[in-house]
Amino acid sequence: MDYGLLIDYKWCCGCHTCEIACQQAHEGYAPTEIGEQGKFGIKLFQIGPFDLGNKKYQYEWLPVPTSFCDLCADRTAKGKLPTCVKHCQDACIKYGPVEELAKELKSDHMALFR
Amino acid sequence: MRTKAVESKPTTKADGTEQKSAKNFFGGSGTHKNDVPQDDPTGRLCQWEEDGMTVYRTNARTAPGCHNNCGLLVYVKDGVIDHIEGDPENPHNQGRLCVRCLAAKEVVYHKDRVLYPMKRAREHRGEDKWERITWDEAMDIVYDKMMGIIKEYGAQSIFVHQGTGRDINGYTGIFAHTFGTPNKGMGLLAGQSCYAPRFFSTSLKIGDFFICDYGQFFPQRYDDPRFTPPGCIMVWGNNPLVANSDGSLGHWVVECMKRGSKLLVVDPKLTWLAGKADVWVPLRPGTDTALALGMCRVILEEGLEDKEFIDLWTYGFEEWKAAVEEYTPEKVAEICWIDPKDVVNAARLVGSADSACLQWGVALDHQPSGFTTGMAAFDLLALTGNFEKPGSMVTARPCFGVGETWMSGQDFFEEIPESEWAASEDLRMNDWYGPLRAMAAVAPDEELNALLTGDPYPIKAVWLETCNVTANMGAEVDKIMRGLQGTEFNVTVDLFMTPTAMATADLFLPACTFFERIGLTGHQPYQLGAIQQCIQPLGESKSDMQILMYVMDRFYGSENLPWKDRDNIEGFFDYILRKTPFTYDDMRQRTWAYPPFEYDKMRSGKIRPDGGAGFNTAYGRYNFYVNFMQQFDLNPLAVFDEPYESPVTTPDLYEEYPLILVTGVRKWGLFHSEHRQCPSMRQLHPRATSYLNSKTATKYGVETGDRILIENRYGSCTQHVEIDDCIKDDMLYVDHGWWYPERACDDGTYFGVMEENINRCLPMTPGKTGLGCSYKTQLCKITKVPEDYVVEFPENIKH
Repeated sequence: MDYGLLIDYKWCCGCHTCEIACQQAHEGYAPTEIGEQGKFGIKLFQIGPFDLGNKKYQYEWLPVPTSFCDLCADRTAKGKLPTCVKHCQDACIKYGPVEELAKELKSDHMALFR
Repeated sequence: MRTKAVESKPTTKADGTEQKSAKNFFGGSGTHKNDVPQDDPTGRLCQWEEDGMTVYRTNARTAPGCHNNCGLLVYVKDGVIDHIEGDPENPHNQGRLCVRCLAAKEVVYHKDRVLYPMKRAREHRGEDKWERITWDEAMDIVYDKMMGIIKEYGAQSIFVHQGTGRDINGYTGIFAHTFGTPNKGMGLLAGQSCYAPRFFSTSLKIGDFFICDYGQFFPQRYDDPRFTPPGCIMVWGNNPLVANSDGSLGHWVVECMKRGSKLLVVDPKLTWLAGKADVWVPLRPGTDTALALGMCRVILEEGLEDKEFIDLWTYGFEEWKAAVEEYTPEKVAEICWIDPKDVVNAARLVGSADSACLQWGVALDHQPSGFTTGMAAFDLLALTGNFEKPGSMVTARPCFGVGETWMSGQDFFEEIPESEWAASEDLRMNDWYGPLRAMAAVAPDEELNALLTGDPYPIKAVWLETCNVTANMGAEVDKIMRGLQGTEFNVTVDLFMTPTAMATADLFLPACTFFERIGLTGHQPYQLGAIQQCIQPLGESKSDMQILMYVMDRFYGSENLPWKDRDNIEGFFDYILRKTPFTYDDMRQRTWAYPPFEYDKMRSGKIRPDGGAGFNTAYGRYNFYVNFMQQFDLNPLAVFDEPYESPVTTPDLYEEYPLILVTGVRKWGLFHSEHRQCPSMRQLHPRATSYLNSKTATKYGVETGDRILIENRYGSCTQHVEIDDCIKDDMLYVDHGWWYPERACDDGTYFGVMEENINRCLPMTPGKTGLGCSYKTQLCKITKVPEDYVVEFPENIKH
C-alpha cells in the first residue's frame, strides 16, 4: 500500500518544525558547522504575500516533501508517526495510505504527496 | 540567627487603603497542602526503557532560553542524549515541539560550552586570558569581593541582572537578597519594557494578573466541558506563533481558530496571523492607546458594551466615558495611519463577540507610553465584560502557591536568615520615577547614569545571571560597555562565553542546561511541572539554582538554611514545595500537576483576600478611573501620547531620519541572543537582517543581500537587508541580539556584537512613567555600504 502525507496548508504557519524534526530524525541530515545547509526531507515554500483586495491577503506556507523523505520508515516500522507529522506545531500534516488521504482532500488549501 | 519574612513595602492608595507592591501577586499565598489536583497521574510513567534507550519524561525550561515549559520525552543512550521528542500526553504542548528543543542537543553538547569556573584578572577584561579554577575558589572570590564591596560602599552598590524567559526569574531575587541589595534588574532593558509596564498598570486597574484563556488551565484542554474558545482573540503587538511569550504557547491561538475563534490582529506588519485575521489593523508603531480608546468609543456609540459588567464590577465609568469621547474613528485613523473603517470593524468584531481575550505582546511595552497602552487595552476588555468567563481574560496565580518559577514571593524568605549586611530597600535605584518606586523596580536609565558617573552612588559589582546585556536588551550599548568595564567586580553565569562576559566579567560560572538538572516549571501558572535530570552535568557545570545554593552557603552557612547542605538540591525544591501537596520526588514522578481552577471568581469571592465578591482592588471593582495614578502626578485615565520622537512629535528629525525603526524581530530558531552557536538554527537564520518592503528598498537603492548602515542621532550599526513585502512603506524591521560565536573574540567587535547591534541606535530613555521605551518607535535612516565597511567604535571601549 502506498503511504503519503496530506498537508492542510491553510494552517501551516511556516515554523520550520517539520524541517528540523526531519533533520534530527535522520542521520547526516542536520548541518554540523555554522554556514552549512543540511539536507531537507521536507522543505517550506512561501506563498505571497498577495493582496487579494478588500483587505484580504494570501500569505501562506507549504511544506513539500523532497527526495530525501523516506516517510520516516524507521519510525513507522515501530508504529510511530513520521516525526514531521508528530511535531508539526499546527497539526496540519497527516500520514496514512494515499487512497484514504485522497478522500480527505476536500479543501482548496490541501496538498497530497506520496 | 533570627529569621524574618521579607515584607514588600506597602504604599497607600489615594482612598486610604493599602496597595501592595507587585511581588505580592506571586507566591506567598499561604498553604495549598489540601489543594486537590485536577489531573490523575495514575499510569503516567516518568521513565522507561525503549529500543535500548532510557526515556525520561520531563518538562523543558532553561537553559537554553525559552518562554515555555513544553513536555518532553528525552531519549538517552549510554548517558548521552540520542534525541528529543514532544510528549503527546503533556496537555501543555500535546506532543508538538519547536525547532529549538528538537535540536537542543546542539546546545547541550556544543564544543564552545564553558564547563568549568574561570577567573580573569580585572586588567585583562576583554582579553581571552581566562584561568580554570575550582568551585570552592570561585565561591571564595565571590564572597571576598562582594563582602569587601558591601563593607566599603554598602550592598546597594551591587546590581543583580537576569535574562528573560528563564526560570531563574524567581531565583535572581534571592541572589539579590543574599547580597543584601535591593537592586535587581532585567539587563538594563530601557524602561523595564518587557511585561513590567503592562503588568503594573493593569494591576492598578484590576489588582491581579490576567491572561488569555486557551483552555490551558485544564488537563483536558479544549475538550473540557467548562471551556469555550474565545469568540475573538485580539492578537495585539506580537506574533505569538514565533514569540510564544510569557508561557503562552502561540499555537494555542491556531487551535482556537480551528475551533471557531475569530481574530483581530493589531500589528503594523502582515504576519501570518494577520493574513488569516477577520480584521487586521496595520497601525503606526506607538499609537496603540489611541486605537484601543477609539474602539471603546465605537462600542459605546453602537451600544455593544456589557452594561451589567460595567454596573456591577467597575469604578469611574462616567468620567472615563467622557474622556473617550474625543477618540472618533476619524481622529484615531489620522493618528494611527489607518482607515477609519479599521477602527469601526475592529470595535464591532470585539464588541459583538460572546467572549474576547487579549493576546498581547511586548510591542505594547516598546513605546514610550508603554504603561498607558495596557490601561487602554484593559479598558476595552472591561467595557466588553471580558474578565473571568470562558475564553476571556482570567486570573493567573502561582500554581499551588509556588511563585519561584517566575517571581519569588515572600514565603520563600520565611526560613532564610536575616542578614546584617542588607542595604535598605529605600536605596533601590529608582528615585526618578514614582511608578518604579511603587513597583519596587530599578530605573535602568538611572542605573546607566550611575554606572558612568557614580551618582547617586557608585555601582561596584554586577552579577549577570544568564544575561547577555550588551548583545540583547540594553540600549546605548556603548555606554553600557564602558560602564560595566568600569566596575570593580563582575560575574557572569552562563553556558557560553558571551560578548558581555568576554568584555566585562572577572569570574565566569558555568550553568548547565535543563537536561542536566532537576527543577520546577510553571512560568505562567496553569500547571506545575517537574524538570527531571536526564544526563549528568557536563564538566563541572551546575544549575542556576545550585549556584544560588553555593552562594547562599558562603553568605549564610548551609546549616542555617532549610536544605542544610549546598548539594542538597532536592531539599531546596522540597523547601519551595513545602506548602503544596507534593515533594520534589512526587512532582518528578507525576511530571505535571494541575491546580484547581474555576471561572467567575469575582462572584465566588475567590479573588479577594477578604473573601468578598469583586476584584482585588480598593473598591473591589475594575478601575476605569485609577485614583492611584494621582500619587504619581499622572493621568488617572488612559490618554494617548505621541512617542517622544515620531513623525508627528519631531517632524524635523523625521525629515532627517525618514524610516520608523522597529527592533526586536522574533525568530523561530533564536531566543534573543541565544542559539547563535547552533548550526541547525543558523541555517534558518544565517545573520543579522533588516527587513523593508520592495517600494522602500527601491527608494533607498538596496536589494536583498546588501549591507546597510543604520543610523540615527544615538548611534549606528550595520546589518544585511532582506526585502519583505509584509512590511508597510517607510518602515525598517531589524533583528536584535546578534553576535557571531564563530568569529574571534579579539577582533575588536566582541564576536561582532558592536558591529550589528541595533541597540546602539536606541536611547535608554523611558516614558514619563519611567516605564516603556522606544524600541519599536525610534526613527532612523539607511545607507547602502560595501561589505568591507568598518563600523566606528567609541574610543573608550577596550578592544
